[in-house]
Amino acid sequence: MLRYIAQRLAQAAVIVAIVAVITFALIHLAPGDPFTGVMDNPNVSETVRQTLRAQYGFDRPLPEQFVKYVNSLAHGELGWSFSHERPVREVLATALPNTLLLMVVALVGSFALGIVIALVQVARRGSATDHALSGVSLLFISMPDFWLALLTLLAFAYWVPLFPVGGTVDVMHEYMGFGRRVMDRLWHLVLPALTLTALASAAVARYQRAALLDVLPADYIRTARLKGLTERQILRRHALRNALLPIITMIGLSFPALLTGTFFVEKIFAWQGMGYAVVNAIGARDYQLVMGGVIIGSVMVTLGSLLADLLYALADPRLRG
Amino acid sequence: MPWQTQDFAGSSAPVRLRESPLGLAVRRILRKRSSRIAFFVLGVILLVGLLAPLIAPYDPAAQPDIVKLKDLPPSFAHPFGTDPYSRDVLSRVIYGARLSLTIGVLATIVSLTFGVAYGAIAGYAGGALDAVMMRVLDAFLSIPRLLLLIGVLVASPQFSIGALVVFLGLTGWFGLSRIVRGQVLALKHAEFVTAARALGASRRRILWRHLLPNIVSPIVVAATLGVAHVIVLEAGLSYIGIGVQPPSASWGNIIHDGADQVATLWWMSLFPGLFMVLTVMTLNILAEALSEAHERR
Repeated sequence: MLRYIAQRLAQAAVIVAIVAVITFALIHLAPGDPFTGVMDNPNVSETVRQTLRAQYGFDRPLPEQFVKYVNSLAHGELGWSFSHERPVREVLATALPNTLLLMVVALVGSFALGIVIALVQVARRGSATDHALSGVSLLFISMPDFWLALLTLLAFAYWVPLFPVGGTVDVMHEYMGFGRRVMDRLWHLVLPALTLTALASAAVARYQRAALLDVLPADYIRTARLKGLTERQILRRHALRNALLPIITMIGLSFPALLTGTFFVEKIFAWQGMGYAVVNAIGARDYQLVMGGVIIGSVMVTLGSLLADLLYALADPRLRG
Repeated sequence: MPWQTQDFAGSSAPVRLRESPLGLAVRRILRKRSSRIAFFVLGVILLVGLLAPLIAPYDPAAQPDIVKLKDLPPSFAHPFGTDPYSRDVLSRVIYGARLSLTIGVLATIVSLTFGVAYGAIAGYAGGALDAVMMRVLDAFLSIPRLLLLIGVLVASPQFSIGALVVFLGLTGWFGLSRIVRGQVLALKHAEFVTAARALGASRRRILWRHLLPNIVSPIVVAATLGVAHVIVLEAGLSYIGIGVQPPSASWGNIIHDGADQVATLWWMSLFPGLFMVLTVMTLNILAEALSEAHERR
């Protein structure tokens, strides 16, 4: 077990190192440098550009730049955000809690909902309900995240104005008492979280339905049936338990899609998270902030899948010991 | 199974030619009603894209009257409304079908080329090379594809649609090559491969003539899903303004043009999105049917 954890940790470290190389290559192999984009104002003279390049070390040889880059990454330095006029680290650090809140709510919501849908489907496999739910999941996994977010915004913020149009909190948030503040934040969380949950739970339901149908022919299910257990007991106690293991893997695998979805959803609902910051930085050509977001996003995904693998090892008695 | 019915024992029945695994799979999935409908719908969308100049009622880039004809809601003259530049949204959606599908297919061809080559080499070589190649793959897989593309596209100040296709293709082969590697690894020691090797076939011949034809099905499934992915990704990138550049129309691009005023210009988000969902859904249905047909074999 300990050996497995050590191995898996080392593997994650290698992945993060390769990610660093890839992002470095992206920055330097691409035509131009951060200053061609930000400084395409004709009034900025070549001298100023050269000075800036020298200040940021872009005129040094590549190997030297790489060592510096890795060193500053290791210290959590991600560069300077031109559009926020603050270090990228600070911009992302203030945005990260909002992103994590949204992701955790969506993750918990979608797995709970997805598993329930799968159970309903498998309990009535082959019925009209099963087919209808399969159709709905198929529809949702075929939807682009940003399109569903736009439609949700349109439907529940404009046409039927039940929820706020966007933002993380109300303008009067600072003047509210504690209870009202919590309510206010939750109120703003509903639509973005709902959109993400709808998208992710469809994928979970499809996956979990297949996993449940996979274990149903197993011998222990037949034994349970012979013992006289009801179909419901079999599903809940025997099938679900064994079909939950792949769910842990699925959690790890779903991080990239969830993070991507969060980016779009945050942008559309003006939820002040990492995705909102990064997508706006693209418009502002704030290159350092964009790359900072790419790096942090990748590290989050790596950590997520690492965590899922460790959880799997903990949950599966066969790997324990 | 038809390809096992070859009878060498001098029977008088005509020897049936071996049907390609793909042809068999296609025939098998067409037995399902849902896949027949999906085939039909996809065919219609493809035809719309192909015949865009004949079908589209207006020039997709024309801005006939930027004052009087802008932001019009759906009507008989403009079934999908007009955009802030007075362009006809229906015509743009039709031309968008052409561009979005082309990008999807071409990018997937790029991905297929890289994914199959990389996976086949890793799986066939095995050992240290395989281990290193897989770790590199892990790293690429742990950067979400959208983020990778954002990094690449933001770094390139100006890029053509061709470059976009290459970028989309180059970021889409990681999962596929893992599948190919797994299949090659599983088949590497199969008897027919050993037999081919014993007959003196070269490595290249074994890979191309013996291994790859046997893993066509999973590759086709992955490619079908790949096209769907690319269509959604391109739309997402165009939506945030770093995909297809104006005045070309792609589905995501049209949504981008109306997204700032989504409350008033709802038709600009709704219609292109519906086409996109329909396309992606049919591709998903076909991919699922294909993989089912493969599993049942």
